[in-house]
Amino acid sequence: MITTHMLVIPCGHPCARVPTQPLNGVILIAKKQKLTTSTGRPIQKKPLGKRIWNNRGFYLMFIPVLVYVLIVYYWPMLGIRYSFYDYTLKKIEFVGLKHFQKMFSEKEFWKAFTNTLVLSVTKLFITTAASVIVSVFINEMANLFAKKVLQTVIYLPHFMSWTVTAAIFTLFLSTSSTGFVNETLKNWGWIKESIDFMHETSLWRIVYYLVNIWKETGWGTVIFLATLAGINPELYEAADIDGATRLQRIWYVTVPELANTIIIVLILNLAKVLNLFESVFVMYNNRVFEVSDVISTYIYRKTFLTAIPNYGYTTAVGLFKSLVGCFLVIVCNWASKKVRGRGIL
Amino acid sequence: MKKKLLAILLSSAMVASLAACGSSSDSGADTAAPAADSAEATTEATTEAADSSAEASTEESAPASDYELTDLYITVDGTLTANVDSGQDKFIEQWEAAVSEKLGHPIKLHINQPEHSGYKDNVAQLLTTGEPGDGQYPDALIMSATMFKQYQNTGILWDMADAYANAEFQARVTLPLINENMKTASGELYGFAPTYGNGCVTYVKQSWLDAAGLKIEDIKTFDDYYNMLQAFTQGGQTGVIAAGFGKLDEAPYINYMPEFWQGAYPAIYQKDGQWVDGFQEQATIDALNRLAKGYADGVIDKDTEEASTKTAREKWFSNDQSTSEGVFTYWAGTWLRTLTDNLDKNEVDTDLGDDRLVQLPPIKEIKDTWGGYINREAPVWVITDDGDGDNAREQAIFDALLETMLDGDTVQTLWTYGAEDVHWSTKAESFTTNPDDPEKKKDYEYADGEFHLKQAPNDPNTVWKKNHLDPVLVIAPLTNGFVDNDPLIEEGNKFFTENCVDAPQSPSSESLTVIEADLVVDKTTLMNEVVAGKKTAEDAIAEYQAEWGDTIQQVLDELNAQ
Repeated sequence: MITTHMLVIPCGHPCARVPTQPLNGVILIAKKQKLTTSTGRPIQKKPLGKRIWNNRGFYLMFIPVLVYVLIVYYWPMLGIRYSFYDYTLKKIEFVGLKHFQKMFSEKEFWKAFTNTLVLSVTKLFITTAASVIVSVFINEMANLFAKKVLQTVIYLPHFMSWTVTAAIFTLFLSTSSTGFVNETLKNWGWIKESIDFMHETSLWRIVYYLVNIWKETGWGTVIFLATLAGINPELYEAADIDGATRLQRIWYVTVPELANTIIIVLILNLAKVLNLFESVFVMYNNRVFEVSDVISTYIYRKTFLTAIPNYGYTTAVGLFKSLVGCFLVIVCNWASKKVRGRGIL
Repeated sequence: MKKKLLAILLSSAMVASLAACGSSSDSGADTAAPAADSAEATTEATTEAADSSAEASTEESAPASDYELTDLYITVDGTLTANVDSGQDKFIEQWEAAVSEKLGHPIKLHINQPEHSGYKDNVAQLLTTGEPGDGQYPDALIMSATMFKQYQNTGILWDMADAYANAEFQARVTLPLINENMKTASGELYGFAPTYGNGCVTYVKQSWLDAAGLKIEDIKTFDDYYNMLQAFTQGGQTGVIAAGFGKLDEAPYINYMPEFWQGAYPAIYQKDGQWVDGFQEQATIDALNRLAKGYADGVIDKDTEEASTKTAREKWFSNDQSTSEGVFTYWAGTWLRTLTDNLDKNEVDTDLGDDRLVQLPPIKEIKDTWGGYINREAPVWVITDDGDGDNAREQAIFDALLETMLDGDTVQTLWTYGAEDVHWSTKAESFTTNPDDPEKKKDYEYADGEFHLKQAPNDPNTVWKKNHLDPVLVIAPLTNGFVDNDPLIEEGNKFFTENCVDAPQSPSSESLTVIEADLVVDKTTLMNEVVAGKKTAEDAIAEYQAEWGDTIQQVLDELNAQ
């Protein structure tokens, strides 16, 4: 007996009881342990060449994928070598680690790096929390029609592009006479002067988070609603018998059942925290760079808004971002293994 | 073990193949100048041309006849109004026919027209990552004056001084100083301006003046101007809108709000023979204070800070005038017609016809400082140098593109008005714009042989205006007598010509080019913060000096040492 998960080799005879890990039609035991019969006699694997030949159809099908991956994913990656070069117009000179030294000494870069982490992580927690709350609320709704309508309505913003979303909110929050929010607040006598939501450093992040909640909460509920649908009704019945109120049912049954999913969602998204560009790019402006500039927008400005850009420098920043992203993926993979028993890679 | 061995072998093969790809890419990219091979690929040069290329050891101009340019790649911005939606295919077809005939061999024209607002970024990418002959790299392209000064010293542009001096159009040039003034101290000419720059004038809506009981001739000083803006600012209406309080990334920087900027020039410019930083001058502090007051008083539309030129002008001529503005400073001449037509299209002040807009003469403070509205430095055409030490390709590009552009006849007409029988015609015809709207309906009738502009290909309810060259601004006029006599445009051009002065020359410095983007971002941020009342102008300039003072001083020293 090697593990608790046992299989019988499909020969009709329980001659080999081995752990699950079927591969190429042969049942293998755990890593570093030889494949044996129940009597301990080692089972000889076929030579690799022969196994490849036997599965040549699959390998043939795999070739286009391999070629695609090499060309589309790996070939462009060669461009990372330019992070060690000065690359402006027709001048390409090897400069070693110069760009990395410059990058780490740039106040602007660190500001962008910090903003990326703050905005991304906060956004992740806030939108996840909002999705959980809305999911629980929808789950509690008895009226099926109202439930479906609400779900559809809150899903819709997800399908709007960030450009349109930003245009709507910029107009909505504008300080000019066309700004709905300011004009309404003024008409109600709540404020005398318009509030510059999009240009105040103290307000910009709040607006950013709210817009993200508006846009992504609905979509975020999909996975939580799926989990909620899978909760055993007997748990609720038991809670009812025990005299639990509705809030207690939510707190003692629904939330614990959702906890694992919440953690998984957080972990999976944590790996992507540095990939923040479009939502910030369409909403930020000069006056709020201090709180809004993120690594991707920093790279964009240095590459595309500079008269004669040095692609070497921006490639170095991009490479650094990728390395940090890679590290985060590994950490999340590790965390995922701990929490749910399997990684994300 | 075998599996590991195979894995290692596969990995090695992958790395080797990638490295091989990389090394070939390296050799291409690291080569500073494309060799004769690539030039041949671009132009399918003859063997004779290759031979002459090999023999050429100096930068002597090769006879154009040695080199046969068969494909011409140009990159243009939105100033080529015959775009893909407006009959560009016909423009190309007629250009190819006319120029092939002139050159005596066939030539194909390839136009790359990126989106206007992203033009600068697109050009930077093309010139950095491309090479002659790759199908994207431009043989010639348009550059604004600011861009031109940034690229002038990079070695990527061809010195066309000799070609310009020997050009056939020289005999007809009426404004020789436009290009002469662009030459470097050592006599090199890296760009060619077929027109002078043009500039912006302040337009005021007549109906708004009438409603406020004001007359344009009474607006003579900044106080008059400001009072007018205040009179216009009521309800949802505002005094003035522009694309930014100042456009600090594009010379002449102040032309969209000249009344507020007055004598200030928030950039490096020459004053009494010395390069100085205008952003640090008292005039800029005063201008920022005026803008801040205008913003606080609400006479400057709050959308100004983020508005693009398109957003600003569309809000200005929008059919919802209840949230619009009375004043807008924009380009002179043809734009007077365009703005009027757009107001008409949106049914604004239809009873006023072509008198909807009045042009405000420069206020006293502008006259006392600059002398008038600023005539910007002209945009230029540049030719890329392939760096092979031979001028044959570049001279051939000059001959095919720039020499013919001002031929005074067929090709110049193409660049001025567009394609025959698409944008203009001399055939007898009649047409009606807005046929379904009795109020806007207008009939046009022309006799045979009468030059006239046709309906715009992308909007049959408007009449085509011009293509790339403005016939009024061009340095060598047409000789075929084709003139579009739109009195409104003529009036606009006359007004500007009588009230303009040349903009200060932009600096050309490598150090400035390196820091310019960051500098512009910081200056724009400070400007916006001051105008929004977040800090005083004095504090903003002090902050700027602390951050940039030393760097700017180095740039000024470099410029003054030239």
